[in-house]
Amino acid sequence: MARPVFGRVSGQGSARARGAVTHLDRDRPLVEAARRDPERFDALYRRYLAQVYSYAYYELGDHHEAEDATERTFLAALSNLDRFEERARPADGDAASTFRVWLFRIARNVVANQRRQKRRRPTLPLEAAAVVPDPLDVERGAALRDEAAEAWRAVGRLPADRRRAVVLRFVEEMSTAEIAGILGRSEGAVRVLIHRALRSVGRDLGRDPRGESH
Amino acid sequence: MTLPGRDDAEADALLTDRYLESLLAADDRRAADAPADASLDRSVRDAATRLRRNLVRVHPSFRFEERLAGRLSDVARSMRLAPAAGGGATVAIRPVDRNMPPADFDPLADPDDNDDTTARSRPLLIGGALTSAALSIAGAAFVAWRRTRPARSPMARAVRAAHAERLRSGVRTSLRERAD
Repeated sequence: MARPVFGRVSGQGSARARGAVTHLDRDRPLVEAARRDPERFDALYRRYLAQVYSYAYYELGDHHEAEDATERTFLAALSNLDRFEERARPADGDAASTFRVWLFRIARNVVANQRRQKRRRPTLPLEAAAVVPDPLDVERGAALRDEAAEAWRAVGRLPADRRRAVVLRFVEEMSTAEIAGILGRSEGAVRVLIHRALRSVGRDLGRDPRGESH
Repeated sequence: MTLPGRDDAEADALLTDRYLESLLAADDRRAADAPADASLDRSVRDAATRLRRNLVRVHPSFRFEERLAGRLSDVARSMRLAPAAGGGATVAIRPVDRNMPPADFDPLADPDDNDDTTARSRPLLIGGALTSAALSIAGAAFVAWRRTRPARSPMARAVRAAHAERLRSGVRTSLRERAD
């Protein structure tokens, strides 16, 4: 995982005059390079492609739609890069990236538009459970696929805001602060969302005879 | 002042959040599980470890990745050329396909993406039906009331009288025609 960038800023302003250590967006060099030369946006694209695509896929449940949403997200990000404002705070955590939060807010917006157009519930295809079992151990492979499918189903049954928070936390490994920025909620609200989601999933899997919790 | 129940929920949520932090960090150490507070709900812990194991990142195809990279490169090139051609003019990307954002696209607009439609659609439907029925009843009552009231202005009275006369003469004519 890339390290966050910390800088000792000197200059005008009270905090700056004290030489306070300011948390900077770890993507700042890439963003600045892309602003100077839009073709340098490629580095940001390569860094976040899989994350954006994965988020879109969990939300839309279809590879083609996820590709569409990913394309729209990156095109919107590139053409609006001059509107991006860095707002990183020390509380945002070590791995915080405000560019990532901004990008995912665009992705959330794009996915919402796409869902509105399609007007359909998310379906999570079973074959998408990307578990990579030992090819020689067929039984274990099938069991892992079953377990993944059950987990996916349980997450798919969650209310939209809880599902989104769970996907961002577990799949994208985002901090509570980042998720709060994307969903437009407080960090406390996000923690409660995830806690309640896990309780629902726990109950759901507990009812399943093949689940772990009984 | 906060309610005790709410405080409990937030305290539990904080406990869960700490466990998730250590669970995600354990993955970096290739450890199967992470130490948890004894007061953490067992089912929450099980659900978390299970989701950690099964919710994996899904990667796009290499073909898609390269195609989109090419598309972004084309757009980036056109953005770079625009100021050169326009001499400091504002960069405006013309939407060349359906996936380009429209000019008024707000990347950070708060989307209405609550797709839990079952809870919302029923009251909306019932509300719509009730409103429609109320409007129909009110309309019918107004027409009935208006018919029984004499018109206030002399012009309106004259129009009504002419209309009534036309109706009467029409009835008389049709009766005469039938008699013939």
